[in-house]
This record gives sequence, C-alpha cells and structure tokens, in this order.
Amino acid sequence: MSDTNIKTIVVSELTKDYGNGRGVFDVTFSVEQGEVFGFLGPNGAGKTVTMRNLMGFIKPDRGTATINNMGCFTKREDIQNTLGYLPGEISIMDDMTGAAFLEFMARMKRLRDRQRMQELTRYFELDTSRKIRKMSKGTKQKVGLVCAFMASPNILLLDEPTSGLDPLMQNRFIELILEEKRRGTTVFLSSHLFEEVEKTCDRVAFIRAGKLAAIERMDDVRKSRKRVFSVTFADESDSRRYLTEHPTARKTGSGVEILVSGSIDGFVKELAGYSLSDMTMQEQSLEELFLHMYGMAEKQSATSVPKDDNQGKAVDHE
Amino acid sequence: MNKTLFAKEIRSNLFVSTVITIVLIMYVVVVVGMFDPELGKSLDIMMASMPEVFAAFGMANQSSTLLDFLINYLYGFLLTLFPFVLVLILANKLMVRYVDRGTMAYLLATPNSRVKIATTLALVFVVLLALVLAINAIVAFITAEMMFPGELDGIAFLQLNVGLFGLWLFLAGLCFCSACIFSNAGRALWVGGGLGIGFFLLQMVTQISDELEFLNNINPVMLFDPYGLASGEGQAILGAVALAAMGVILLVIGIVTFSRRDLSI
Repeated sequence: MSDTNIKTIVVSELTKDYGNGRGVFDVTFSVEQGEVFGFLGPNGAGKTVTMRNLMGFIKPDRGTATINNMGCFTKREDIQNTLGYLPGEISIMDDMTGAAFLEFMARMKRLRDRQRMQELTRYFELDTSRKIRKMSKGTKQKVGLVCAFMASPNILLLDEPTSGLDPLMQNRFIELILEEKRRGTTVFLSSHLFEEVEKTCDRVAFIRAGKLAAIERMDDVRKSRKRVFSVTFADESDSRRYLTEHPTARKTGSGVEILVSGSIDGFVKELAGYSLSDMTMQEQSLEELFLHMYGMAEKQSATSVPKDDNQGKAVDHE
Repeated sequence: MNKTLFAKEIRSNLFVSTVITIVLIMYVVVVVGMFDPELGKSLDIMMASMPEVFAAFGMANQSSTLLDFLINYLYGFLLTLFPFVLVLILANKLMVRYVDRGTMAYLLATPNSRVKIATTLALVFVVLLALVLAINAIVAFITAEMMFPGELDGIAFLQLNVGLFGLWLFLAGLCFCSACIFSNAGRALWVGGGLGIGFFLLQMVTQISDELEFLNNINPVMLFDPYGLASGEGQAILGAVALAAMGVILLVIGIVTFSRRDLSI
C-alpha cells in the first residue's frame, strides 16, 4: 500500500506492562482507511490489551495509539462518534431484554433511526424478546454484534467477534464484514482462529507474548501456508512408487503424509497418475503456521524467559 | 448528565430502593404509634435499668415530646445505619458491578465521556437517596399528624431530616468514591463500606464510654447531631453542612478518578 493512503488507526511503540510478562510491548502497526486488519494471536497474547488501548480504557505506559489522528485515551469520547466496538467478554446488562438493551444503546449512541438495527437483528436471526440473562453465549454475542454494527460506524473494533457463534452464523458474520469492506469501513478484528481472519482480512498481524511477531499481507500468508495431505494409496506398489519419487513424504501406517505449500495444483495433477483409496487434508493450525513462518528459533525465544528482561514469557496455549 | 442512562438506572434501582423505603416506613409508623407519654415513662424505666444498651443504640435521652421520642428511637440508629445498607447496594449496582463485570465497556463505547457517565450514576445515587428520605419523612409527618395532631414541630422535623440527608450524602460519597477508585471489586465495595461501618461502630463505642469520647473528634458521623438540628443550633447545622460538603467532594473525587484511571474492561 502506498504512503498516500490515509491511516485510520496508528499504534506506535505501544507498551503496557501488567507485570509477569503480561501486557503489550513496543507494538507498532497501522490500519489504513477501508482496510480489514486482522490481529491474530493465542489467548493471553495481548490482543485485548491492544483493544483496550484503542478504546481509551487504559493509558499506555509508553508509545501512542491514535484513531483518526485523535489520541485514543484523551479523545476517547470523540472517537466513539464514528466507531463500533464489540467487547471480547460478553457481559451485557443481565436484567434487560435484548430489545430493551439495544434500544438503550441506540439512545446512548444518539442513533436516529432503528432500520439498521432491525436489519441486523433479522440477519442474525436474533430473538430480542428474551432477557439477556437467559440467552446462550452465542445469542449474547449476536446482541453484541448488532450493537457494534447498528450505528453504521466508519471504524469497527471487534474483539474475537465469532466466539460462541455456530458455523452458519460465523459465515454470516464473514459476509457482513465483506459487505462493510465494500462500504469502505475500516475494520480491526482480533482472533485466535486463522479461518475467520483468512476469509476477511487484507493484512494480518501476529502477536505473541505481547510482542508483534510480524505483519503480513493475507495473500502472502496464503501462499506460504502449508497443508498436510494424508493419502492412502489403493495398492502397496503405488505407495512405494510415490515414496521413492518423493523422499520428503512421510509414511504413516497405511498411508503417506505429504506437506504442500502454496499452490496445490501440481500436487493434485501428479496424484492423478496414482490410484487412491482415500485422501484427507489438514490446515496448519495457527501455532504450526507461526513455527513455519518464523522457524524454531522464534519458538524457543518465545517460550524461555530472556535474561535481559522479563517480557518474553511463555505463550499461553490454552 | 445523560438522560437515557439516568432513566435506565433509576428504573433498575427502583425495586431495591422501594423495599428499603417500605421497611423504613414500617419502623417509623410503629415508632410513631408507640409514642405515649405513659409508655414513655415505662420505657424510661427500662432505659434506667440498662442504660448502656440504650446508649449504644443512641437512645439514651429522656423523651417527653414526640420529636424527642422520634429522634431517640429513629434518628440515632435506625435512620442512620439501615439506609447504609441501601448505600452499599447502590454503590455496588451503580459502579462496582459495572466495572467488575465489564458492562462499563458498553457505556463507554458510546460518545459519552467518562465524567458524564460517572456523574449521571452519582446523580442517580443521590436522587434515589433523597427520594427515600423524603418519602420516609413525609409518611412519618402524616402519621404523626393523624395520631397526635399538632404534637410534632414541623419546622424542627424538617431541619432534622435535611440534616439527616447530609449524613446520607456523606455515606454515599464515601462508598461511591471507593467504588470509583479501586479496580478490585471487593476493595471497591468494602474500603468505603468498611470505613462507614467503622464510623458507626466507633459511634456506638463512644456513646457507652466517656473515656473514649475524644474519638468523636475524628469520627465524621458524629457531625450529625439530631437534637441540635431539631432545635436549630448553629453547630449542628454546620456539622450537617460539613457532612453534605464532604459527601459532594467525595463524589467529585470519585468521578475525576474514574475518568483518569485504567479500566480493565
């Protein structure tokens, strides 16, 4: 992306130390106007801390965070005029019905018409007549999503937006993000699931142990991403033939495991010359992707505490 | 102030406020009904038999008029300590829980400043307490007028209740301020609550023992002097004004702190 693009969200050397290696350290990135930016990392890596900084809930120890050139902590209420936010933890006022809560929030946001709210409610098949206390996790999440999107904001901050949603609703969410992207909305979404980020984001930042590991264009990540195919050949001779032609393939029980990166076209065409009885594919997990992209050295430095400081604590694998 | 939030919070806290009001009214009506110069004498005998117990609950004075009787049996203990329960519940519902459960994130995800949000919540707090006190005082006055017409000095009774509001405001400020300052929910509720309870315990102790009376000088709750207020003494009025002022200052400190601090929501 060229320098002429407007940077909507700018985070520069942001540090917030909660002690014991928790927090974020020297995080720098920017999100351009109209861009969908993914923030990927395991639980406890600092995604929510970054969100809190952007929302002005916490003051950075060092560094700055701005949205539309306004300081996130000092100008937080002005920023909220054009922002939609979905908190990572769903903790909505229990004693209200979904409809009462949405109406309350619409008034707090000084929303004039309720058309978009109703559209979104229908889109997510949300029953707003029930008390929030009695709603399931996924239903509460839908209430939060409607709340974040209903003011048609120019900027969206979404903390783990699909948690609790069933696959159908996860797809609807992805569709909604793509629609917002066409509308020119700037979206910053955090997740620990690669799939939802992969389908929506232009760029993705990887964070672990509070430090930004890398920022990549989604296309590049897709290209370098490896898939593991487990192939079972119809007869033993095919299996042997394949293994001799491909020394990197690994024999596992009755089948063969093959690691394929980038395009799978050549791999599939070659397999056409063999007779197969079964084939399954596994996507690399986020952790595996990390290891693949940044090598074992990265892993080791992230899981052992460096001598000079206490910042790089072990990654939370929960 | 934000009207939407104000209306929502008044509604959400109406139930608990009503329950406390009803309980208070029950006591007030019963105590008014108990007034009887003859019965007063027998109570005086009882009081003479165990003065410490009565003193501890601020009921040590002989009561000849209805007003003195009410002060003795209501304004020394019941109308000071019991509303403190409501103060704690409101501080918890209006601030502690909002931050602890993270619901505050939704309020702050709107174009309203933290000062505005916290001021609105503090205002709900004060308005609800004022309503509870006003309803209570009006019911007490009407009951007294119906049972003993002309017995209760209206002006003195009004002064007494306005002064009592100063005390309530102080307690509210104490608990709200604590709720705004601390991020740990237990501390947020009980630093203010504990101080309040401590002040009341101190008051009970000093009412029994003369030797500990010097402690009154450091106990803000002692600034509330119901007898002095009823008779319009300057010192008592000053005390009530000081309590109200401290209450307001504590509310402001709470609001300012809340707008500056880190919120892990």
